[in-house]
Amino acid sequence: MKGLLESVIRGLGNGSVYALLALGFVIIYKATRVISFAQPALMLAGGVAVSYLAAVTGFYPAVLLSALLIAGVALVVERVAIRPMVGRPVFVVAIITLGIDVVVRVVVNGFIGRDVRQVGDPWGFTQVSLGPLVVQSRWLAMMLVTAVLVALLFAFFRYTRYGLAMRAAAFDQEIALAQGVSVGAVFALSWGLAGFLAAIAGMFVGTGQGIEQMTWVIALKALPAIIVGGLDSLGGAVVGGLVVGVVESLFQSYQGEFAPWLGQNFAVVSPYVVMLIVLLVRPYGLFGTREVERV
Amino acid sequence: MTDTRSAASAAPDIPAGRSRKVRGRPLLYTSYAQDMALLDTRAKRVSTLVLVVLAFGLSVLLQDRSLEVLAGAYVLAIGAIGLNIVTGYAGQVSLGHAFFVAIGAYTAAALSGPVDGENLGYGIAELWIWLPAAGLVAAAAGVLVAPLATRLRGLYLAVVTLGLVFLGEHIFKEWQELTGGPGVGREAAVPQLFGVRLDQDGPLGTKEQLLYTLMLALLIVFAVAARNLARSRIGRAFAAIRDRDIAAAVIGVPLTRYKVLAFGISSFYAGCAGGLLYTISGYVEPGSFNLLLSVQFIAMVLIGGVATVSGAIAGALFISLLQPVTRSLPALVPFISGDTTQTPNVFQVETVLYGLLIVLFLIFEPRGLFGLWIRVRNYWKSWPFSY
Amino acid sequence: MKSRSATGFIAIVALLSACGVFRGDDQGGEGAAAQAPGVTAEPCPSAVDTKKGCIYLGTVSDLTSGPFAALAVPITDAQKAFWARVNKAGGIGGKYEVDVTRYVKDNKYNPEVHRQVYNEIKDQVLGLAQTLGSPTTAAIIGDLKANNIVAAPASWTSAWEFEDVIIETGSNYCVEAMNSVDYAMDTYKPKSVMAVHLAGDYGADAAAGAKFAAERNGLKFTSVETPTGATEQGRAITEITKNKPDLVILTTGPADAATIVGQTAAAGYKGRFIGTGPTWNPALLQSPAAPALKALYEQSAPGRPWDADTPGHKAMRDALPGVTPNDGYTSGWAWAYPLKAALDQMVAGGDVSRKGLLAAVKTLKTVDYEGMLPPEAGNYADATGASVFRQTLINKVDDKATTGVTTVKDFFVGPTAQAHTFDGPCYTKL
Repeated sequence: MKGLLESVIRGLGNGSVYALLALGFVIIYKATRVISFAQPALMLAGGVAVSYLAAVTGFYPAVLLSALLIAGVALVVERVAIRPMVGRPVFVVAIITLGIDVVVRVVVNGFIGRDVRQVGDPWGFTQVSLGPLVVQSRWLAMMLVTAVLVALLFAFFRYTRYGLAMRAAAFDQEIALAQGVSVGAVFALSWGLAGFLAAIAGMFVGTGQGIEQMTWVIALKALPAIIVGGLDSLGGAVVGGLVVGVVESLFQSYQGEFAPWLGQNFAVVSPYVVMLIVLLVRPYGLFGTREVERV
Repeated sequence: MTDTRSAASAAPDIPAGRSRKVRGRPLLYTSYAQDMALLDTRAKRVSTLVLVVLAFGLSVLLQDRSLEVLAGAYVLAIGAIGLNIVTGYAGQVSLGHAFFVAIGAYTAAALSGPVDGENLGYGIAELWIWLPAAGLVAAAAGVLVAPLATRLRGLYLAVVTLGLVFLGEHIFKEWQELTGGPGVGREAAVPQLFGVRLDQDGPLGTKEQLLYTLMLALLIVFAVAARNLARSRIGRAFAAIRDRDIAAAVIGVPLTRYKVLAFGISSFYAGCAGGLLYTISGYVEPGSFNLLLSVQFIAMVLIGGVATVSGAIAGALFISLLQPVTRSLPALVPFISGDTTQTPNVFQVETVLYGLLIVLFLIFEPRGLFGLWIRVRNYWKSWPFSY
Repeated sequence: MKSRSATGFIAIVALLSACGVFRGDDQGGEGAAAQAPGVTAEPCPSAVDTKKGCIYLGTVSDLTSGPFAALAVPITDAQKAFWARVNKAGGIGGKYEVDVTRYVKDNKYNPEVHRQVYNEIKDQVLGLAQTLGSPTTAAIIGDLKANNIVAAPASWTSAWEFEDVIIETGSNYCVEAMNSVDYAMDTYKPKSVMAVHLAGDYGADAAAGAKFAAERNGLKFTSVETPTGATEQGRAITEITKNKPDLVILTTGPADAATIVGQTAAAGYKGRFIGTGPTWNPALLQSPAAPALKALYEQSAPGRPWDADTPGHKAMRDALPGVTPNDGYTSGWAWAYPLKAALDQMVAGGDVSRKGLLAAVKTLKTVDYEGMLPPEAGNYADATGASVFRQTLINKVDDKATTGVTTVKDFFVGPTAQAHTFDGPCYTKL
């Protein structure tokens, strides 16, 4: 039981990082109807930026600065490569984001060099006891920060003018335009937010073990998460991320013991299996909007 | 492909006799058969013939290493045509193409592999046996997956098929008897046609010349078959589903059956491409069938032109030749360092260029190479009044 | 239809012709019809002595976006520095200089790309100074053999012990793991061994070695395959903390190793870790796992680290001023010696050609590594299991050392490796 709960907490910790990434995907999707494959590169860039800035400004200011920096990078990318493609087929835009991913990643790799870069986080592998449970403090930090960010984000969408504008544009771009919402600004804002969240996620991915050139692969975990949650649901992204994290963690702990016939390391693909099962029952994910079909 | 024959039988009441063309009026059609013909104008017939002759001629003109790159491009083109059937014609975006390519590659490799080798093998090296088998096994997998796919649309379908790639990668990495395992790999299929090994230099030409000619011939076969399929009843059903699936259902197109068919045919092409692709390097490693390969196929279709066979071919050539071209470009810019410790160095520029060229191309011509061709053609059609 | 792609096709053909790829225009290199491929009477592009001819060697490595880029770049650099030093010291037999800078290609760790770039350079080079990776090299091995092209690999898998044209240096992972277990038997007296490894030619090779050694020493052996990626190590960590093996043989990347060691130590695990060469990176000393690594971890290695006091190491340090030290440099530098020995032998023998080089390789029973490795590491006279070099060493973490490790046990052969007969790649026997 103790082991199980500890596995779940580890899953929730990693899952909240996936949730941050998934939120970025969903925000961009809601605004532009495109899945941005540039998120992995932005995540990597965020972690690397923290690792450079932490030595100069200290850890916490570095995280904020890097998140803003990556948000800036995302804004530039959006303006240069995505804005001209408004109204083009979404898959063409998706391929463009993939091209951007390659470009950004090569540049970031130049900064990573050949070493494992440390983000200089205060958590390391320190552990805290929660009653009988022993858990790593960084998992708690991940959960806490994600919870705060998600709350802020939801408040932003709910209570601010810009949040309202984004919701309006996501609902119907033309009507939003007619009401005086600058849809271009909404696109930019969504990319900026996604970049911001990706950078925070990148920092968390780097805690403990550091950042290598191959770290970007972790961002792909967000893909099953957004499908499980539903592509256009912010809450779904959070739930999806957590589900993926927990499922993966449980498979890591118990699959070797209870289901060895699935092969070594089934945990890596377990999120996709969950995704398939969820989709068999609910074709639009857990919280996705069902498309209304009219003839 | 049995579907090509149904093209003729699908329209039995159309008079086939009065198909005489009026000279000098290439766009005047006097019968339906003319309108639907594969090559409906004289210009197309001539240019296609010239292109095919030229393409075969290249095998004696180009160096071996260029032939090898082109042979690879032709095989990828077969795969891209397959993806175009499900994604371009039937409108079901699939990121799972690499999975079907892998199935084809391993079916072919297992069938033609040595019986008592390190990996699974049945010793049937004849191309005409393992190639259709590779296609059929992949097609069967496609048909199995399709019922799930018919429930989903758009990006959901794309990500789910992506999940297929990850699951497939897991299976292929684990099934070491078949694949050799990651980082190890196994010998690929042996291309042998009626006792002649095509992957060895022989009296008919060098290995590369033989493979090039084989791949080109197969590409033509597959391309014509796909084109025929597209203009048949099945092709029209696909287009109806792509444009509006509910409307298609209303006019009597059985959605599930045609979506399953689209996945099956597409996977058949993917399987054949997989079987052939690795005969060139002679080696296949399970790590190759990843997201990147799927994405490359999607990129080929989008860059070439959605729902056109020639577009898929052009797109495959574009993507395959992009790497060699980006490799030679930095050499023209002398100030970039070849020293790997410096940033930027030629290798980084090379990789960045690859991404950038794809981005720029799609930004400036979202309809792809086919769109570019349409523009050029229209310019000259209306010359000298083109503006 | 094909006709519609005419424009693109013609443009591409035009471009190809611009790059000079038509049949028959340069099969033998520039103006050197009588010379062997990759050998010219003209001096090298950056020649020290313009009176000497030039031998071109190719490099195909993972230079930008592949998983081994962090290791491949220093390897490639070290080899450039190595050959520059050889040229400065009079070149090969006083007749030739060696160029490894002109034909350097990026394989992106993809077998198909590897083969393409190899084809692009193969007519211009005498041999390959580096071909990185096992599956990638496997994609060209047939061609290497058919054309007698000698190549130095950048990987330590046991598969290369059985190829004539591949001149590997240092022990393979299989031997390294055997020796690690034997070393632990002497030092820590473990009762159980767990191999935590990546899949394939790297991880499984070492795990198989650990298994052989465990069987010989009568230890309980378990193996856990783990994927790459720091968040994916949960299973490995659980297995270690649950089963509490006395010894863990690690074959992963450096960040994975840090995660595993750091987290298991934090969870109270007290056993020993011995990781293969690539599990270490000096930057791990700054990581939160550093205390755990210092307490529990040792690194097995096929060669001495950067700081070692041998003429070879000193020459390397002098030739690479101002770099961030990394044992990728050390490996790259050491890997170049056999090729130099073979080239010397070839020029001395007079047959300057691929066949001559291969013949020269087959006469090599020892290679002068300037102390970096024992001379018998360079035995290529018989490319069978018998010639496998079986000495490795053990390093421990040391913050004062430049690359973070110092040697605790110098080159040794454990009883398992000594007695083992190699009759095929180890990873097939896991």
